[in-house]
Amino acid sequence: MSKTTRYSGDEMWKNNVEKIQNSELFTLTYGSVVSQLCRDFNNNYQEVNQQLDRMGYNIGMRLIEEFLAKTGAQRCQTFKETAEMISKVGFKIFLNIQPTVTNWTQDGKTFSLVLNENPLADFVELPMGPDNRICRDLWYSQVLCGVLRGALQMVQLDVDVWFVKDVLRGDDQTELRLRLNKFLKDEVPAGED
Amino acid sequence: MSSYYFVIIGTRDNPIYELEFSSFRSGVSGIQVPGKSQFSPSVKEILPFISHSALDIIEDAQWSTNSFNLGKIDSFYGLMINAFISQGNIKYVLCYDANGSGTNGSSSPSLNKNDENSIKQFFTEANELYVKCLLNPFYSVNNAITSPDFDHRMKLLARKYL
Amino acid sequence: MKVYSCLILNKAGGLIYQNNVNPGLNSLSSNDFLVLAGTLHGVHAIASKIKPIPSQAKDDIGVTNTHNTNTNLIATGKSQNANSNQSGLQTIETDFFNLYIFQTLTGLKFVIVTSPNPVVHNLQPMNDFKSISRGELQKQYDSTVKLFRQLYLLFSDFVMKDPFYSLDMPVKSSLFDMRVKELLV
Repeated sequence: MSKTTRYSGDEMWKNNVEKIQNSELFTLTYGSVVSQLCRDFNNNYQEVNQQLDRMGYNIGMRLIEEFLAKTGAQRCQTFKETAEMISKVGFKIFLNIQPTVTNWTQDGKTFSLVLNENPLADFVELPMGPDNRICRDLWYSQVLCGVLRGALQMVQLDVDVWFVKDVLRGDDQTELRLRLNKFLKDEVPAGED
Repeated sequence: MSSYYFVIIGTRDNPIYELEFSSFRSGVSGIQVPGKSQFSPSVKEILPFISHSALDIIEDAQWSTNSFNLGKIDSFYGLMINAFISQGNIKYVLCYDANGSGTNGSSSPSLNKNDENSIKQFFTEANELYVKCLLNPFYSVNNAITSPDFDHRMKLLARKYL
Repeated sequence: MKVYSCLILNKAGGLIYQNNVNPGLNSLSSNDFLVLAGTLHGVHAIASKIKPIPSQAKDDIGVTNTHNTNTNLIATGKSQNANSNQSGLQTIETDFFNLYIFQTLTGLKFVIVTSPNPVVHNLQPMNDFKSISRGELQKQYDSTVKLFRQLYLLFSDFVMKDPFYSLDMPVKSSLFDMRVKELLV
C-alpha cells in the first residue's frame, strides 16, 4: 500500500530542481523567448509586454495546482497573509528567491514585491538604441506579473500586477506591485469554512 | 610605453569591437597620457587593414597548434600582431608596437616571456567577457558590441594585463 | 485497503478523469460515472450547509484552523495537508465500499472508492471517544490523506504541466494513467 513517496515535506525546498540542474538554461530560454518576441513584433514593446503577460497568465493558472499540491497552503485570511505566502513560499519554491514585501497602501490592498535578485534577468542588458525606447517600454520580466495574476485568479483573487521599476532600465531596484481588486466570494468552492 | 590596438573579429571576418590604448603599466613616464594610444596618424589609419590582413595567417595558424592562443603571428614595420581564436571561430587580434611609440625609443627593447604570458591572459579573459556578452538574449553573433559595460570591463582588463 | 476507482471532478462538478484501478466493483457505464460525479458535487455542496452552529461541538469534528496551517507553512516550510474540504461531504462509509472526497483550493475534487473499513475485533468501548475509536476506525481515513496528496502531486505534474491539456477538460494522458495505476494498484 504505502508506496515510497517521491516528495516529502522536508524535501520540498531542496528538491525543487529535479532534472534540469542548470538554471542558466532556464534563464537563456526565457531570454530567447523575449528577444524573439521583440523581433516578431517589430520592437513594439507594449505588445511584447502584453504577450509575456498572457504567457505568464497561462502558466500561473497551471502552476497554482503544483503550488497547492506541494505546499498544502490553505486559504489566506488576509491579503497580508497572501503577500507573505507569495514571497516566502511561492517565489521560494519556484525561483528560490524571497522578494521583500513593502510599500503597503493604507487600505492594505496594494503592496510591492522588491526582487533583490532576478533569475530571469541574469546576463541581460537591454540594447541601447538611439532613442532608448526599449528601456522606456519593455518590462523584461513581465511574465512574472502574468504568473501571479493567473495563479491568484484560480484561488478567487482578482488582482492587477505590474512592474514599476527594473534594474535593467537603470532603476535602483526591481519592484512589482500587486493590487487586490476583488475577492471573488461567489466563486469560492463549497466545502471550505 | 607601448600602444595597443585590439579588435574582435566575428565569424564573417567582420570587426565587432575595437579598442585602442597604450600601456597602463607605469614605465618611463613621458608626456604621454596613459591610456591613450600613441600610434602615429599614418599607422593609426592602417591598423584595421593590418589586423584584417592577419586573418589569413590566423586561418592557417589555427591548424598548426592545439591551443587557442596563436601567439605572435605576424609583424608589420615594427608592429607585432598576436592572435587568439575561440571555439566559436571568433578571432581576437592585438597589434602593438614592440619598441615603444616609434618616435621615442625609451620603452622596453623587445618582447619578453612575461609579456607573451600577459597577452595570453588578456586574450583568455577577453574571451570570457565575450561569452558573457553572448549570453545576453538581445545580442546575437556578429553583432557589433555596443554595451558600455563590456567596454568598461575590457578597459579594466587592459589595465590589468597590458 | 484496496482502491477500486478514482475520479477527478473539475470545479463545476464535471467528471474529467475516471480510472478503475483495481477490478472488484460492478462496472458502471461512463454515463453512470458522469451522474455519480454530478451527484457527489451537489451533495458535497449541500452538505457544507448542514453543520452545527459554530459555537457547539467544534473540537470533535477536527476542523483545522486554516490560519494555523498557513502560519506553519510560512514559518517552517513544511508541507501541509492540501485538502480544503472542511465542511463538505468528506466520506461515505458503507458495508461494501468507502468513498472519500478531497477538494483543492481551486475547486478540483479527487474522489476515491475503496474497500470498506476492516472489521475491528475487540473494539474498545466508546467512552474515550477521541483517542481509541479514532485510532482504529480512522486508520483508513488517514491513509487516504497520503494517497490524495500523491494523487494531487501527480495531477499537478502530469496533467497541469502538459502543455496540450486545456483546463477543465477531460484528461486523456496515458502518462498520468500509468502513474495513477502505479500509485493505487
